[in-house]
Amino acid sequence: MEPLNLIRQFLALILAFAGGFLVVGGWIWAPQLSKLVQSAFAEGPSVSLFADAKRIGRAETAPVVRSCIFKALDLGPDAEKMEPSAAYFILKAGSMQANVSAMMGKNDGWSERRTTELAASWGRLANCIYAQEDREICDPDSRAAAVEATTKFFAYAKQLDGSSGKPAPSATDAHILQGYGDRLLIMLKNHRRYGTLVAADFGSFAAPEIMRIMREENQTRDICKR
Amino acid sequence: MDLLKRAAFVVGGIFLGINLINYFVLGHTGDYLPGGERMGEWKQAAIREACYSALESPESDPLLPKLTTNDHRVDWRDLTRAKEMTAALNCYLVTHPNAICERNNRAYIVDYINRYFAKADEMMTTAKRYGEAEMSTVKNLWDSPRNREITAALAKDTGNGRLIKADFGWTTPAAMKPMLDRYKGTSDNCPRA
Repeated sequence: MEPLNLIRQFLALILAFAGGFLVVGGWIWAPQLSKLVQSAFAEGPSVSLFADAKRIGRAETAPVVRSCIFKALDLGPDAEKMEPSAAYFILKAGSMQANVSAMMGKNDGWSERRTTELAASWGRLANCIYAQEDREICDPDSRAAAVEATTKFFAYAKQLDGSSGKPAPSATDAHILQGYGDRLLIMLKNHRRYGTLVAADFGSFAAPEIMRIMREENQTRDICKR
Repeated sequence: MDLLKRAAFVVGGIFLGINLINYFVLGHTGDYLPGGERMGEWKQAAIREACYSALESPESDPLLPKLTTNDHRVDWRDLTRAKEMTAALNCYLVTHPNAICERNNRAYIVDYINRYFAKADEMMTTAKRYGEAEMSTVKNLWDSPRNREITAALAKDTGNGRLIKADFGWTTPAAMKPMLDRYKGTSDNCPRA
């Protein structure tokens, strides 16, 4: 057989394999890919895209979101009639809007105020989630909510620390956010030790504070094991 | 000959790609229903516009699906969709029982029935992850008085031949198979013009 024919056959084999992989892979992973694109581009930093599906569920339907969302977000007197997952969606949609503004380079007083509000809302939500019973975070949906709220709080707080060119928040706001951040770091340490949260839940793009704790602290027990 | 093969391959690829985008991305599943004397063009279905009013404020209809407990894992978008789909299908089948006799309407309604059962199945699959209690919550959600009216109308429409298995092609919803098999071969009793 001529070498050229051999190369052609080899190429055809590779193409057939690649085509088959695309078809089968597309069929299997298309829903996840669409979610990946949505979370990466529409809703800003979220849970790890490579986290174990058994560990990370759907944050919006988490029991901890049901208990905490209306404490974190003031939606007026009729808010309690709203489904908690809808309120969570409002918070995420607000984050998406702020992300778009940031991408377009809008750096005025309004956008700074909005970022402070978002940081405070995600911080309140995260603190409320961690204030629940520790085992609550064993639930994949609740774990997803804890991870998302923590990640987003630190992401927005970072935007306000002056390094991104945004004007710094007022001293009172900065003090409140600092308090949320400090408490969250303590809770993260505890949950790392309990085995309720691991580095893989956050992925590689989480804030350095989170990743440092996930790296440096060791799991001492597994409170999720029954 | 080689050129022809290549051209056929490219044309085939484009044809397949367009159809995959149309079905999976644009969601025009109605384009792939069987054609023929009974089935018309779903895009031209008059019933679609006739039922717009049923979708204006579904929250004001207490007979539409609602959650029976606060302790659930149903996403509000799924809940809203369940309400909207029930209100729409109820209008197509119950409020306008003869609409299905018109070819274009039948194509649209058959496609909508597929979507309705697909949504219920999807929510049930999600609920399975959370156990029996959640499955029961979702089951109850899809068993509202309006859903029961839809089920009764579907049984009636299959019984009198207004809906037959051939209308669904290869996409017959599992919940409808027993009904359609039972009344196989029934000719429809639609009023003739």
